[in-house]
Amino acid sequence: MSAILYYGEPNGASFTVLAALEESRLNIETRYLDLLSGARHRIVGLTDRVALDMGVEGEGPVLVINGEAMTESVFIAQYLDEAGAGHMQPKDAHTHWQMLMWCRRVTERAAPAAAFLGCRSNAHTKLAAISEAAFADLTAHIVSPDLKARWEALRRGDFQQAQEEDSIAKISDLAALCNTQLGDGRDWLIGDYSIADLVTYGWLAGMRGIVPDAFADRSKLAVWFARVEARPSVQRALAHAIAAHPGQHWAPGPEINRWG
Amino acid sequence: MSDVTLYHWEPNANSGKPMLALMEKGVKFESQYLDMLNFDQHKPDYLAVNPQGTIPAMTHGDNVLVESTAIMEYVDEAFPGPSLMPADPRDRLRIRWWMKFMDQWLGPSFSMFGWKYFVGPAARQKGEAELEAAINRIPLPERQIAWRKAVYGLFSDEEMAESGRRIGVGIKMLEAELVKRDWLASDQYSLADINGFNLAYALPLSQPHLSNDELTPNIMRWLRKIYARQAVKDCWALGRTDMVKRVEILEQDYIPPKPESEGIAKGIGDKENLAR
Ligand SMILES: N[C@@H](CCC(=O)N[C@@H](CS)C(=O)NCC(=O)O)C(=O)O
Repeated sequence: MSAILYYGEPNGASFTVLAALEESRLNIETRYLDLLSGARHRIVGLTDRVALDMGVEGEGPVLVINGEAMTESVFIAQYLDEAGAGHMQPKDAHTHWQMLMWCRRVTERAAPAAAFLGCRSNAHTKLAAISEAAFADLTAHIVSPDLKARWEALRRGDFQQAQEEDSIAKISDLAALCNTQLGDGRDWLIGDYSIADLVTYGWLAGMRGIVPDAFADRSKLAVWFARVEARPSVQRALAHAIAAHPGQHWAPGPEINRWG
Repeated sequence: MSDVTLYHWEPNANSGKPMLALMEKGVKFESQYLDMLNFDQHKPDYLAVNPQGTIPAMTHGDNVLVESTAIMEYVDEAFPGPSLMPADPRDRLRIRWWMKFMDQWLGPSFSMFGWKYFVGPAARQKGEAELEAAINRIPLPERQIAWRKAVYGLFSDEEMAESGRRIGVGIKMLEAELVKRDWLASDQYSLADINGFNLAYALPLSQPHLSNDELTPNIMRWLRKIYARQAVKDCWALGRTDMVKRVEILEQDYIPPKPESEGIAKGIGDKENLAR
């Protein structure tokens, strides 16, 4: 079996899989992708790229196994855990369900908000600075029209006030939820240290610099951030960074729920 | 007495997923039918179980579970019976990927059509005052918006067109995937097939111009193979309305292409459509 894990800066979805890989102790080749240059859409040698082209997560890591591209960071993390050391998911069915629900809460509500806010503060200026032709070239390989539309909106700087307020509220809600969850003195969000901690850290860590108010007076959460950062696997994941501040690096993420 | 209770509507979309998973596992459960069109899901008895007021929900002893796909994963892990997730981590990843794709990208587009042409008009049978009172009782603000859109027909042409586009793309993707293997996401029948069947069982009826034995033979083969399962028969027998009778179209050996106008936009509640 040949496997390659393609990742962006250790932030958001890419952080989750890099940290999960470190915990899994699997020996899988990793390759850096500059997500904001559209590099993810130009990976060569794929025999099956459905998941890459149509993933709900937007720009994020890609695990290629024997030519088949796989996406969605939570599921890649589960894969790495199940193929590897196997200690990042609760064994009990109900606690496992709680972990899945927590991850969905983060990826469905907070992640689109984080990607929106992160892109607005950082990625927009970079995309706006490139020429029309270079941008057309970048997006030419994006198969999904709805993902492409998110790239175009980002370049235009199409940030609605209502969406901004909603996104800030969603980050603040998640920060509050974490703080409450940790209120009973537990060390980790769901059961033992798990993928829920990775996913939450990945999407929230970079938000500390972008919406600092959401984190004010949330002392349990602050202590938890430090606890996560103290893990050797997390330090190794963060060491994959090429940028000085990976928490500032964002690319178009999941769409905001349109219906249902 | 079973210590499992499932709160569900018709075996269709989200309700059908845990219903069929429980049937496949052979888990005995108490069925609590909620009439979604009568807004049973927002009544105090049910809100005490699931404060979000969405269907389905399941209780197992003291545990309360929501989210149809996550409930299915719980059912598969918590009970003995045939495994609905293969052991191979790569298959499991592919299964989870397809379920998320269907739950979040494709399903909502089908649902928008269903709500515009079926749920909205059906609910409108109630008087304006009763309807407003019912909508005002909905706990989730985004669901209030959804219901208003459906009952007052407020979907924009743009969003309907985008949903239509996604349905077309999704059907092609399902067909292409089912060329690769017998089942949707692995070589064994899995939660992805249960999820997919609940989404797609009425395709040849609702999208007769896009899904039929000429254009999508693999989807048709797959749907018929799932329909042949005893668990599916038992599950669909729990339905109470004509809606679920749509599944009977899978008894036909050959379904030719038909014009779009004979599909869902004509109204999936149409008696003539349901009859055959
Ligand atoms: N993501 C949830 C969605 C549940 C859901 O939205 N169910 C629909 C029926 S398929 C519902 O309850 N609609 C009625 C309402 O919102 O009032 C799941 O998969 O269980």
